[in-house]
Amino acid sequence: MSAAGIPRVAASVVLPKPSFQAVLDNLRNGGFTLIGPTVRDGAVTLEEIRGMEDLPRGFRDEQQPGHYKVEKSADGQWFSFNVSAQSWKQFLHAPSITLYSVNKETGQWVLQRPEKIGPRFAFIGVRPCDLHAIFVQDRVFLGDDFRDPHYARRREHAFLLVVNCTTASSSCFCTSTKTGPKAVNGFDLALTELPDSFLLEVGSEAGSEMLRDSGWQPATAFDLGRATQVVQHTERQIHREMRTDDLPQLLYRNLEHPRWEAVARRCLSCANCTMVCPTCFCTTVEDSSDLRATAAQRTRVWDSCFVLDFSHVHGGNLRPTVRSRYRQWLTHKLASWIDQFGMLGCVGCGRCITWCPVGIDITEELKAIRTTGAV
Amino acid sequence: MSEAIMTVPEIVTHADPMLPNAAVVRSIKPEAYGISTFFLEFQDPVIAAAYRFAPGQFNMLYLPGFGEVAISVSSDPNHPQTLGHTIRYAGSVTRAMGRLMVGDIIGVRGPYGSSWPMERARGKDLLIVTGGIGLAPLRPLILAVLSNRTNYGRVTLMYGGRTPPDLLYTGEFEDWQRGGVEVHVTVDRADENWRGQVGVVPMLFYRIRIDHPRTLVLTCGPEIMMRFVIYEALARRVPKESIFISMERNMKCAVGFCGHCQFGPMFMCRQGPVLNYAAIEPFFGKEDF
Amino acid sequence: MKFSEENTLQVGFLNSLSPSSQEKFLSYAEILHFDRDELIFRQNDPSLYLCLVKTGAVAIEVYVPTRGLRRILTLGPGELFSWSALIEPRYETASARAMESSEVYGVKGGLLIDRCLADCAFGYDIYKALAGVISTRLKATQLQMLDVFAAD
Repeated sequence: MSAAGIPRVAASVVLPKPSFQAVLDNLRNGGFTLIGPTVRDGAVTLEEIRGMEDLPRGFRDEQQPGHYKVEKSADGQWFSFNVSAQSWKQFLHAPSITLYSVNKETGQWVLQRPEKIGPRFAFIGVRPCDLHAIFVQDRVFLGDDFRDPHYARRREHAFLLVVNCTTASSSCFCTSTKTGPKAVNGFDLALTELPDSFLLEVGSEAGSEMLRDSGWQPATAFDLGRATQVVQHTERQIHREMRTDDLPQLLYRNLEHPRWEAVARRCLSCANCTMVCPTCFCTTVEDSSDLRATAAQRTRVWDSCFVLDFSHVHGGNLRPTVRSRYRQWLTHKLASWIDQFGMLGCVGCGRCITWCPVGIDITEELKAIRTTGAV
Repeated sequence: MSEAIMTVPEIVTHADPMLPNAAVVRSIKPEAYGISTFFLEFQDPVIAAAYRFAPGQFNMLYLPGFGEVAISVSSDPNHPQTLGHTIRYAGSVTRAMGRLMVGDIIGVRGPYGSSWPMERARGKDLLIVTGGIGLAPLRPLILAVLSNRTNYGRVTLMYGGRTPPDLLYTGEFEDWQRGGVEVHVTVDRADENWRGQVGVVPMLFYRIRIDHPRTLVLTCGPEIMMRFVIYEALARRVPKESIFISMERNMKCAVGFCGHCQFGPMFMCRQGPVLNYAAIEPFFGKEDF
Repeated sequence: MKFSEENTLQVGFLNSLSPSSQEKFLSYAEILHFDRDELIFRQNDPSLYLCLVKTGAVAIEVYVPTRGLRRILTLGPGELFSWSALIEPRYETASARAMESSEVYGVKGGLLIDRCLADCAFGYDIYKALAGVISTRLKATQLQMLDVFAAD
């Protein structure tokens, strides 16, 4: 098959690594803003990238409870690191959005909505766990009677280029949540890094289109075998586990378990976990007005159930203790979420473990409740 | 998970569920100290004509610069244009609403939430137990019952407040009695002039007889009060499935996105605020939950 | 003296007694009549009768210096009051007044105590039911004290 033309959907193709730039160029020329991983301030972060030169080639990360470090890797591979500090959530479910403003100057209300058409994002390097997190937020914001138009607008134009994992960090547990280390569907393109090439699975027509003139060749059986091996190798590197078959009832039945007190003694209620978690979606609305009180604005911003005011009702806060707030977070993520959305709220990315200042491990907390005096 | 109670009439909203509709304050009726009922009218006549709500539902009321509050509709569901909201001046938004005057404009979107089980109530004895401002979301239920009185069995209201001046809608109790609702009123604390009952609302259970197989208990008020009410109802063999409560939680969006109003797996803006006690029994009354 | 079905409430002092204890208790009772607003007994009076509202309504009032006589509780048919008749030093801790024309079962405290001592099974039944009433009243008082409707 020649380099002209595009592969069909569901095909697997290979690219020499430098040719990946052509895919990125196709996306840029197609009007997409490229967002991808890059090394900045000692961490892998998600930023607007210009091309392959911005990717963290030759870097790996070390992730453990309360510990994160990026360092050079020996293998010179392009994607030897794991989940970035933040997730793709910040682009689809923006941390701060103007909902509307009201102008009362003329005596009549004039409601103004922000008509700004935002950028069309191409996400380069979405890990399978993070891809699932996007599916989870799709369910939250688009799957019920009400739809979030802000999420919808960004999501429907987003191009998803997944990168399957060739390595696992110690925080990872996607094998328990069945969200990785390889993506199965829901992507436009999915890349697996082989020693001398990139294997790309075409997940959609949009994905196929972006391979035009890139010099792609059909993947051979050998290529596909290598890709499978790579993923199996990653699976074997994952040692952290989280059993989920007895959820949600395990947590519903153990709301007074002594473990909640124990974890509350360590938890700082800092909300880091909710900020880095790719599925946490809570927000609040802030109001502001000009000094003459003729114009007012409403802004939706990220919020966290760890914030004391989160449960404020007239008369006080319903969850005044750290114990109650930690319990709320964990039981929502691993239990209530299942009843609400038909899926687990956790995708096994391990960010909450890595970024907790005191190293609280969600898998360990669940295991402790299950194995020490659970009802 | 047991069935949610949802009677959601067609919602009049924009494609963006957070956008409010402008409404004019038509009149303000003081009800008790620090509590008034605001009667609103949508500026857009199409929206005004289309608006409907079921007893127990609420609207989000918006005051530019201050914020939004979830307030139950307290007026007659057969006359939805009345759009009455009984508001207690408690937080920054409601206190700012206390400075509103007739003719001022506020934002309204809704209705949201689950409603009292009007269908299940047909043919049953209804025991409505409430206190303080909890009577506001039950008033539409009472008015709906009065307008179709023969559809229901014995209807009893047990209502209490802190002191006599704190009682709401007292001028209507005689009409309700005449319409076939047995009204029992009590206060926690009497003043020198009070000649009525004194004692907490749950103790009014001792004044009445319940035919437990055919009784629905509908309650709204402070959680502790509701807990005692549930206890008294269960002691009189009312089945758990026949008890309905209305629960208050922090609300920022009313459409299930902000996450604030969760109680266990339920969003009070969607599966609530009216809840069936049997569905929430494992969670209700849990400390700090 | 028979206790008629109409007055039976589903919980309360009488329903907590066995049928034989109920019958015994009522056999010791006198029916006392009070007009609207008539004082039944005054705070600090010796407590002579254990009382049970038969019909009507009774208000419990406490005298507070500078605040006067304050109604703190009202009771209806089937509700017990003046158990001070059984509990040393047997003085009324509050006043009781009929809110409307009322009938009250009154059992002489001394007589009831003698009968309880003579028949321990009956005595146990009476005090068990009494404990239940006091417990309910205490819970109600706690709720009253929590002042749940207070504006903060």
